[in-house]
Amino acid sequence: MPNEAEKAGDMEGARSAGPAARLIHPVDAGLALIIWALVAWLYYETTQFEEVSFLFSQNVPPQMFPRILLILIALLALAMPFEHLLLKRKGKDIDKGRRVPVKGIAWITIVALVGIVAAAPLLGTLLTMVAICLVIPLLWGERRLQIILPFAVIFPLCIAFLFNIVLGVFFDPGVVGLSIR
Amino acid sequence: MEAVVQGLGLLLEPTNIALILGGVVIGVLVGALPGLSSPMAIALLIPFTIQFEPVPAISMMAALYCAGTFGGSITAILINAPGAPPAAATALDGYPMAKKGQPGRALGLATVSSVTGGIFSLVIFIFAAPLLASVALEFRPPEYFALAVFALSMLASMSGRSSLRNLISGAVGVLIGTIGVHLTTGVERFTFDIPELTEGIHFVPVLIGLFALGEMLNQSQALDSAFERIRATATKLPSLKELKELKYTILRSSGLGTFIGILPAEGSTVAAIMGYNEAKRWSKKKEEFGTGTPEGIVGPEAANNAAAGGAMVPTLALGIPGSGSTALILAALIMHGFRPGPYLINETPEFIYAIFGAMMVANIGFLAIGLAGAKVFSLVTFIPNRLLWPAVFTFSMIGSYSYGASMFDVWVMLISGIVGFLMLRHGFAPAPLVMGLILGKLVEETFSQSMIIYDNNFLRLFESPIVLMFFAFTLLSLSSPLWGLFRQRRATAKEGT
Repeated sequence: MPNEAEKAGDMEGARSAGPAARLIHPVDAGLALIIWALVAWLYYETTQFEEVSFLFSQNVPPQMFPRILLILIALLALAMPFEHLLLKRKGKDIDKGRRVPVKGIAWITIVALVGIVAAAPLLGTLLTMVAICLVIPLLWGERRLQIILPFAVIFPLCIAFLFNIVLGVFFDPGVVGLSIR
Repeated sequence: MEAVVQGLGLLLEPTNIALILGGVVIGVLVGALPGLSSPMAIALLIPFTIQFEPVPAISMMAALYCAGTFGGSITAILINAPGAPPAAATALDGYPMAKKGQPGRALGLATVSSVTGGIFSLVIFIFAAPLLASVALEFRPPEYFALAVFALSMLASMSGRSSLRNLISGAVGVLIGTIGVHLTTGVERFTFDIPELTEGIHFVPVLIGLFALGEMLNQSQALDSAFERIRATATKLPSLKELKELKYTILRSSGLGTFIGILPAEGSTVAAIMGYNEAKRWSKKKEEFGTGTPEGIVGPEAANNAAAGGAMVPTLALGIPGSGSTALILAALIMHGFRPGPYLINETPEFIYAIFGAMMVANIGFLAIGLAGAKVFSLVTFIPNRLLWPAVFTFSMIGSYSYGASMFDVWVMLISGIVGFLMLRHGFAPAPLVMGLILGKLVEETFSQSMIIYDNNFLRLFESPIVLMFFAFTLLSLSSPLWGLFRQRRATAKEGT
């Protein structure tokens, strides 16, 4: 019995089997466009680098190497929309890993991690670790508080002992830590 | 030979041996835990060891460096999160083998090949150090540039869904390496008025993000899958029959790793990737690579440990670091009042041999840990995923933070992880990007120096036979996917007729 993911993959496979997809892979064409847009923007940025004389830069101006790389990336990206034809002949499936959409939990995890790290100046290093060890397991469906709570307290304390006490890494107390003091 | 004996005499004091073994334990721990890296541990060790005599201080760092290279393979195999950059290639087949229910076998193969590679490089050093050093001395910027380009071209034949995407990832990595102040002119590039970017982007947070956070986000989508928690049995030594089958791969990778390690600025990561590629290139079962083949484990493991030994040669004999870790060892040597370079090997050869003796002891030490202690490390896989990955992220965050004591590095790690996760979905593997990032500075520096030497005439690069040789290898490497396709088509045509 095919599962939901396989069904979704089949549907996308069927969609991409249209006449337009025979030569150009639509998803890869989109990716190539994004890459070209980024390359164009970064190339423009190279034109904004501070001007230096050839004598000072010894014939190797600062924008020369990045531009070579950007042109190389753009040229390589040109082949991306057609690469699926070559890979198909080699028996490789470029769509293997992307047929199933990213699950909601991955996006929620990303948002949670960004939020916790953004709050680090407020929480301080230790409380940020506690927040990660508390929030992520709860988000991921762990409901055994008798495991989560000791983990969220003991594990960050062990890390703090190793890094802060043994290795002497400075731990930012954060606004909360300073307020408590 | 007299210097060798004197060196061993300096080494064989109980305190020194205890410190070396301490370095091995810390190294394996640091190497095994994602987010912690040998360079970071060595950097943190410098203030502690400055009060020691030079031999035990540098020996402890060298032991940590060797063991850290091996330790990375434990988590690469068990949770697909390489604890150290050189173990990235080991994960390609080590993790699939562990997933197939053979984690003990994968760890055994990694341990034996690591020790073999490490000891091989040290034996080569002891007997051929002056010769190898003189070969490395022949390399000028054009040769380094050609070598780095060749290493990058090898990305085309690396594991992954697409050679083209590997090359794009590699080029993006090199481009990221250009962020910051241009060395020749002092001009800021791609800094976007962010002060932290003027120093460029450290590769450690990027690496942690790509491998640890990227994997964490993958795992978040498969929390209930059965394969995630790999129950490791005791480390299983490979059988004699298996070793016989793998001997050429191990020896080839050991030789390659030693050679790559000796070349200044080329480290264990390059050696591991090249070791993996060569193992695949010479294998009769190429199609099994990436699915948990023994050759895919012993190839990079023998190479990266051989390179760890080899990388100490240019560091000590030429004063040119062979890798990030050896750059820190170089700094420690200077702090101890030594002048690394040819003078060091000429005036105090016993010191050099004492360091390499320490690395020999370290190799034997991590053999014991690998065989007896890997099972203890494997206990990490019994921790529920819902706790393990938040713990890994906590380590990653602190590891990134500790590297420069800056939250900026944590953001770099976070962004790299998210971008890496999305890139992987579209066939862009993280390892080529990391390779590009590591080699980026070398490529640009040597390119600029070559252009200055040859008065901006690129064609004059081809005057050097070594450059020609490396460029020929580059062409071969880049065309290898097309050759593979050509061979496949020919085989299909034959079958048809």
